Amino acid sequence: MRKFFSQMTLPSKLSAIWIAFVCSLALFGWLLPLPNPSEFDSDAPGVGLFSPGHLLGTDAGGYDLLSNIVNGARTSLMIAFISVGLGGVIGSALGIISAYRRGRLDYLVSTGFNMLLAIPNLVLGLALVAVLATSTDGAVQIPSSRRIIIIIFSLTVVIIPILGRIARGATLTWANREFVVAARSMGMRDRDIVVRHVVPNVLPAIYAVLFLAVGVVIVAEGALSLLGVGVIDGVSWGAMIARVAGEFTYAPQSMYVPVTVLALTVIAFNQLGDYLRGRLDLREGKI
Amino acid sequence: MPYRIFFALQRIVQLLVVIVGATFFVSLLLQLLPVGLEELYVFAIDEASRQAQIELLHLDANPVMFYLYWLWDFVRGDFGSYVYSTGILDPVAPRLGDALPVSLRIVVYVQIVALTASIPLGIFTAYRSGRRSDKAISYGLFTAASVPNFVFALVMAAFFGATLGWFPPLGYTPPGEDFLEHLRGMVLPVAALAIPTIASYTRLLRTDVIAAMREDYVTMAVSKGLSNTRILFTHVLRPSSVTLFTSAALNMGGLIGGSLVIEQIFSIPGMGSEIGLAIFSRQYFALQSYVAIVAVGFVIFNGIIDVVVGFVDPRARERTRA
Repeated sequence: MRKFFSQMTLPSKLSAIWIAFVCSLALFGWLLPLPNPSEFDSDAPGVGLFSPGHLLGTDAGGYDLLSNIVNGARTSLMIAFISVGLGGVIGSALGIISAYRRGRLDYLVSTGFNMLLAIPNLVLGLALVAVLATSTDGAVQIPSSRRIIIIIFSLTVVIIPILGRIARGATLTWANREFVVAARSMGMRDRDIVVRHVVPNVLPAIYAVLFLAVGVVIVAEGALSLLGVGVIDGVSWGAMIARVAGEFTYAPQSMYVPVTVLALTVIAFNQLGDYLRGRLDLREGKI
Repeated sequence: MPYRIFFALQRIVQLLVVIVGATFFVSLLLQLLPVGLEELYVFAIDEASRQAQIELLHLDANPVMFYLYWLWDFVRGDFGSYVYSTGILDPVAPRLGDALPVSLRIVVYVQIVALTASIPLGIFTAYRSGRRSDKAISYGLFTAASVPNFVFALVMAAFFGATLGWFPPLGYTPPGEDFLEHLRGMVLPVAALAIPTIASYTRLLRTDVIAAMREDYVTMAVSKGLSNTRILFTHVLRPSSVTLFTSAALNMGGLIGGSLVIEQIFSIPGMGSEIGLAIFSRQYFALQSYVAIVAVGFVIFNGIIDVVVGFVDPRARERTRA
């Protein structure tokens, strides 16, 4: 692990450090002595950065920005990791199996992927969340926790075809390599071939894309909030941004702070994904 | 020649399958609503008018028939209606007629700006590859391509719009009303979408041009004594442009999604605002048609680009055949 880290380029190192930092904030942030994120400080509304008691300032309502960032990290990263994890597993499984089996199954699965990819991913996520989060009573909104589950589900559906198509493509290139053909001719069972020979070779390509997918989901979560169907009550980064999206003149830090944190995180995930993909290309090139 | 027609037909069938599948999926979403459509849209005082409304909206049909009714209307240009509790139907088509051109205009502006900026930038940075500034440039481009467009939008609206007051931070002026004001209002939203797009196109073109310059046929052209411009345009840019235009086409989806958010931020009355309104007022028939239009447009556009690419680069045609 340490060797891997020391080999990284400087931007990738910085990205890894930033991601580790944000993740630890999300996990252990509640241990920090910060003001309650949902309690407003009526003495200090809209104070700037580095004010006493409010390191990143407060927004116009007097909510502490740092504690909201920490609190939002938990929700935003949870949404991102769970939907990418689920979408990655389901998508890769579908992609690998259909590319290995070929035939009618492959046609069905890849047509399914193409259908979902035909709807731009934000529009797909938006439609899914909008429909599923409709409350039975028009006057009452559905509870926040259920809304988060719906968002995770919808973004999982968005991620499945993206990763599925990559897994399928990678499997197609490996499924006819000599060692796979050899294993098949030696009478190895298909299931064992897939598990022993195909999956280990396809996984690196998927890992690289997983990082990019986390970035996609973080952006999508923010966009859904701005479109008014995201997490409510400002408990995610997207929701923080959406809450202050129209106010530029009073307490501008309440917009700049969450936007910067979100952008840095997305950049970091993309950077790591790109770095992994580059290493992979090098390895492939040597063969 | 018959081969070509055969493959064109095959491609069209594929596209139709995808379109039907995607729109059917969207139609199925209405069945997934936690609230019954009847409960949402049928308000009647007596049983007879109730039955009439259910029949009018095809709520008694099974999912497949419901989709086919919708498809038949959709193909004829009837995109469904807003259904109000008074039983009044407000057709979606005129709203769409107002909103769609606004969004298309934004997307087209973005593509024009992005392509005109990234082609010279890509060539320039490719020529400089290997120099000291090279790494800085490619990391800069990478970073700019990773920043979500709504971040650019918010920061620019706050800085250039509200703080400096150079451009209107909100609102939309139709081009027919005052064209200059229209352009002034478009600067920030288009820039927000274009900056990440320019960065990613430049990156792509840069790698492509660098790779093309290493090709044997370029060495050959150089040794034949062709001029640099000639080599650049006929031997380097022609194959690279294929990648660029294909990815510009694929990027369309991202831009459409992005423009929804950007419209919301700048309160521009385009598809984004219409979709937002439809969701907010729980008008799912309208939502279904909006999403379907976006998907159909996206698929057809990509299909057209496929064909165009085939004309520009004969190698791509061979590849799709294989």
